[in-house]
Amino acid sequence: MTRTTQITILVVLLALLSLFYQGLWGDPRHIPTVLVNTRAPVFEGPDVESGDPLSSKRYKGKVIVVNFWASWCQECKVEHENLLRLYDEFKDHPEFVMLGINYQDERPKARAYLQRYGSSFPHMEDVKGTLAINFGVYGVPETFVIDKQGIIRHKWIGPIVDDVYTNLTQNVLTPLLQKADTQVRSYEPST
Amino acid sequence: MLRFSPILILLCFVSPIDGLAKVVDETEIDQKVREIAKTLRCAVCQTENIWESGAPLAHQMREAIRERVMQDQSAEEIRAYFHSRYGNYIMMEPPKQGINWLIWLAPFLLLFGGGVLLWREVKGWVTQTPASQPPPTLDEASRRRIERELHRNT
Repeated sequence: MTRTTQITILVVLLALLSLFYQGLWGDPRHIPTVLVNTRAPVFEGPDVESGDPLSSKRYKGKVIVVNFWASWCQECKVEHENLLRLYDEFKDHPEFVMLGINYQDERPKARAYLQRYGSSFPHMEDVKGTLAINFGVYGVPETFVIDKQGIIRHKWIGPIVDDVYTNLTQNVLTPLLQKADTQVRSYEPST
Repeated sequence: MLRFSPILILLCFVSPIDGLAKVVDETEIDQKVREIAKTLRCAVCQTENIWESGAPLAHQMREAIRERVMQDQSAEEIRAYFHSRYGNYIMMEPPKQGINWLIWLAPFLLLFGGGVLLWREVKGWVTQTPASQPPPTLDEASRRRIERELHRNT
């Protein structure tokens, strides 16, 4: 076996080992999203609390925070207080809208959840999970930010807590609300 | 009793015992849903398609497929819809494009490379091994000694 062949084999083996290592230690929850920087789907459904029809069309030209949640989801309870805080922080901005989408839940349970943990912004029902699939949702909680042009600019899988909250408010929402066509970078978790 | 045991065993196979096999009434729509669902990966499971997965999201996806099949959408259109929502991750078979070609071709390339290496190694061994030669001739002294030894033993 020539030296060149030996080196080639070594390089191929090292490349395969590095791939294996990446697969072994990579975060299995990290799945690249294809929806960021694409047009957000139109979403419609009844309001969880009042039963009145809600539609994203009503909020055209506004920055919309969409949060998928469920009463059976533990991590949703963890982030709920921060969602109320986030709404309070931006609610006075005329171009800010926040919507919850209640994913695969029962209306009485969802209402009880909102009564217990508080509700300050509207929540839409998604019993069949159709809206969730349209948004490419893997599970709850998941949060999306849609800009004034209707483009999804940010997606976060998991609860909005600590530095995730800071990033969402400072690096995503504030620039989007300040400028009409600001491009914000999607936040990647520090692993 | 033992005399009848082969007959009893045979009866187990020939009698129509309910429950050994289930007859499933599958409509054309069910069949289409199954075929499409088997090509899509469950987004919340590891290496399981949405037809076989018991996850709630997989169940919703099956329902979404059913609705689209009933709207006369083709399998390709339905797959394209899920791909547009979840990307390559949702496909059980990664699309043959871009970097994905590496996944499709790597096994064949490795097999080919391994075959070439093996062939070269074997060829090297063959060329290094001397060709078969006749056994060395016995000199006179050795021949006499062998004969002497043979005679002594007999």
